[in-house]
Amino acid sequence: MPGPIDLIIWFLGTAFELAFVVCSLARKSFLRYFFLNLYLLLSTTASIGRFFILWRYGQSSDQYMYFYFYSDALLTVALFVALISLYSHVLGELRAGEYVKWGAVFLLLGTAGFSYAVVAQSANRLSTSFAYELSQNLYFVGLVLTYILWGAVLKLRETRTRPVQIILSLGLYFSGYAASYALANFSGKHSIIQYICPALGCFLPLSWSLTMLRYTDESRLVPAQLVAVPR
Amino acid sequence: MSRKLGALVLAMGILVGAMGIKTVLASNSKGTVVIANGPAPMPTPR
Repeated sequence: MPGPIDLIIWFLGTAFELAFVVCSLARKSFLRYFFLNLYLLLSTTASIGRFFILWRYGQSSDQYMYFYFYSDALLTVALFVALISLYSHVLGELRAGEYVKWGAVFLLLGTAGFSYAVVAQSANRLSTSFAYELSQNLYFVGLVLTYILWGAVLKLRETRTRPVQIILSLGLYFSGYAASYALANFSGKHSIIQYICPALGCFLPLSWSLTMLRYTDESRLVPAQLVAVPR
Repeated sequence: MSRKLGALVLAMGILVGAMGIKTVLASNSKGTVVIANGPAPMPTPR
């Protein structure tokens, strides 16, 4: 079984994920942010499933490893869809739905094809390697997509607080992931990384829940003020 | 048709950018797998 710190982070993260869905329902925004809710509901379900499998078979078991990586690939695709739905929120007035839809499909297929090409050489456990390669690659695609979306928010002078805060949180989350990835590859020591990644998994639902709780759909801010204006 | 082609070119550009960032960050790679979906502890891939 994992240590007490791991368990505390795990339970807190699952509680935050559920809290976002409850806040959405309470604020009557469940359908408006349906794909974010779907992602966090799937994540909660995966978290509960992972706990029971870990409790029964142990962290080093094949059962836990398979369930973890396959559920993770599914969750990453769900997060990708949630991110694309944010594009629809921000670019809704431009009627760019067709572009976004086709772009997302091409991007997902391209990432899957690239991931397969990378792992095709490995003969053993191809499906597991594909699952985590796809997951990792989609994270980096998500990072680029989030920064492009933030550029669109600034360019279009998006003023709705909720989408702006949600996109900012996603940007921090993906950036944190990329930093952890770099740190893990440079140091090779996993002592800190093993806490950072689950903590990132707590941060995202917590920040989204706070956004949902503190702001309404009518809340407005001016993100363009965050950008330095040349004099 | 041109819309789909535009979306395809943009998607490929994003994919190349993303994989470029990943390659730069993994330049000193030790085959590490880092996953951040959810707060559960990560197993060691075999």
